[in-house]
Amino acid sequence: MENICAIRNLTKVFFVERTGEYVHALDRIDLDLNRSEFLILLGPSGCGKSTLLFMLSGLDHPTSGEITFTEKSHDNKRLTCTVFQEYALFPWRTVIDNVAFGPEMRRVRKRARYREAERYIELVNLTGFETRFPNELSGGMRQRVALARALANDPEVILFDEPLAALDAQTRRVLQTELVSIWSKTKKTFVYVTHSLEEAVLLGERIVLMSSRPGRVKEIIDIADIPRPRSTTNEREVKVLAMLAEHIAAEVDKSMRREREL
Amino acid sequence: MTTDVSNLGGRQAGGALAVELTGLEGLKLPRKSWFPRSTVIRVLSPLILLVAWELIVRIGKVGEIFLPPPLSVLRVFVRLTADGTLPYAIWMSFLRTGQGFLYGSLLGIIVGLFVGWSQIIEDIVDPLVAAIYPIPKSALFPLFMLWFGLGDPSKVVTILVGVLFLVLINTVTGVKTLNPILIRAARDLGASERQIFLKVVLPGALPNIFTGLRLGAGIALILVFVTELEATNSGLGYLLWESYQLMLVQQMFACIITFGILGILSTWFIQWLEKVLCPWSTTVTRQ
Repeated sequence: MENICAIRNLTKVFFVERTGEYVHALDRIDLDLNRSEFLILLGPSGCGKSTLLFMLSGLDHPTSGEITFTEKSHDNKRLTCTVFQEYALFPWRTVIDNVAFGPEMRRVRKRARYREAERYIELVNLTGFETRFPNELSGGMRQRVALARALANDPEVILFDEPLAALDAQTRRVLQTELVSIWSKTKKTFVYVTHSLEEAVLLGERIVLMSSRPGRVKEIIDIADIPRPRSTTNEREVKVLAMLAEHIAAEVDKSMRREREL
Repeated sequence: MTTDVSNLGGRQAGGALAVELTGLEGLKLPRKSWFPRSTVIRVLSPLILLVAWELIVRIGKVGEIFLPPPLSVLRVFVRLTADGTLPYAIWMSFLRTGQGFLYGSLLGIIVGLFVGWSQIIEDIVDPLVAAIYPIPKSALFPLFMLWFGLGDPSKVVTILVGVLFLVLINTVTGVKTLNPILIRAARDLGASERQIFLKVVLPGALPNIFTGLRLGAGIALILVFVTELEATNSGLGYLLWESYQLMLVQQMFACIITFGILGILSTWFIQWLEKVLCPWSTTVTRQ
């Protein structure tokens, strides 16, 4: 397995200006990303998994420790791209101009970037909607656009910040399946933040279980050998689910006890 | 079986949801009315008012010197248009308003974008805006005449200042209310700060900028009238004021109506521009 990114001894402390307090969000995280894997960051809310994602995107810096990518960025191209829960599409841009945003920033010519965008629009099954504006699309379709936009920027790693949390259960199911198929087609590395145990088991190859306040890596569970398509009712999946549930319950218990003490 | 299809039309989410109407033959379905009743009433209402106005004056209850009948106003309106008086007045007022509006809104948009974007610039500009904004801009006209002389520049500057503040304040609001996740997404996709400014902040603030432009057009029309009361012998405001002093009541009415028409035209123009420049905006689609 080829290592694509190494996170070493990463600690993040936030300063909250309003209260003057420090929040210890991440504590000495050590983690490696393998090329083309589907990695899940799983944990209760407040465990710093989104913060870790933000550090990986390079838009915020760790307080100490480091993140090293094996590849170096060239031509201003980003190594990572993020798919947000809130879609974060530009409402004034049509679908195709949203998807082509990354290449446009790198000054790729219009025809070339449209051709590229068209390819990914097809991959996420949105052909025919190129000239629509985001507010004319359903939530599921908007998230497809966001995914196509991330893919069209051709990063090494795609970061997902609870991308399906705002969708209804049916749409979520469909998109989970498509996500797996797009992942296996594109061979990109996916780092996927979720607090849903089911989602972790249905999608992931490795599940990084995090504990909260401060966020630490509690355990890494390798489930790459569970065959796809997966289902939450198969024997092996059920076992993993039960184990995850136990871990999470202990975590939530711990943090609630701590809240009572405060 | 009842089938409610009243909500199937229009631009709905998806569009792929277009429904085929088969098996619905014989059902009474709502359809687009050929001539909506609302439109009829809206046309009749002002017509009836005009007729009533004409009748009241004809019967002689109100002196023509206070309220000339609509038809005689129309006659004067046509005459003033034919002999070139009114077109010339409109043109002169248009030049002053147009220049003031153009420079004022450009300045307002540019400064507004920077104020909304940079905390330091906001800290510098905000107290100045807070101090000057509450002053009625017409009250600055005498000062501008002192500074820029009695000619057109003082009028243009007065209009410019009036438009500037409205556009500025609305542009700042537009930038400030922009969802920060869009800026984060743009940065995440590799946009430089300059690109974020031009490709995210500017289009993101555009709907609010148009709110400012609409308000600015209104104030510009008010200010052109006020400034033409003094130190000029051209323009619609001047013509109206002269008509009053000479007791040419029909001509006064003709000028007032022209101001109204100019107001409507400027609103239409800005609406059209908004439709072209921000087709995604919800305020546009709702219109």
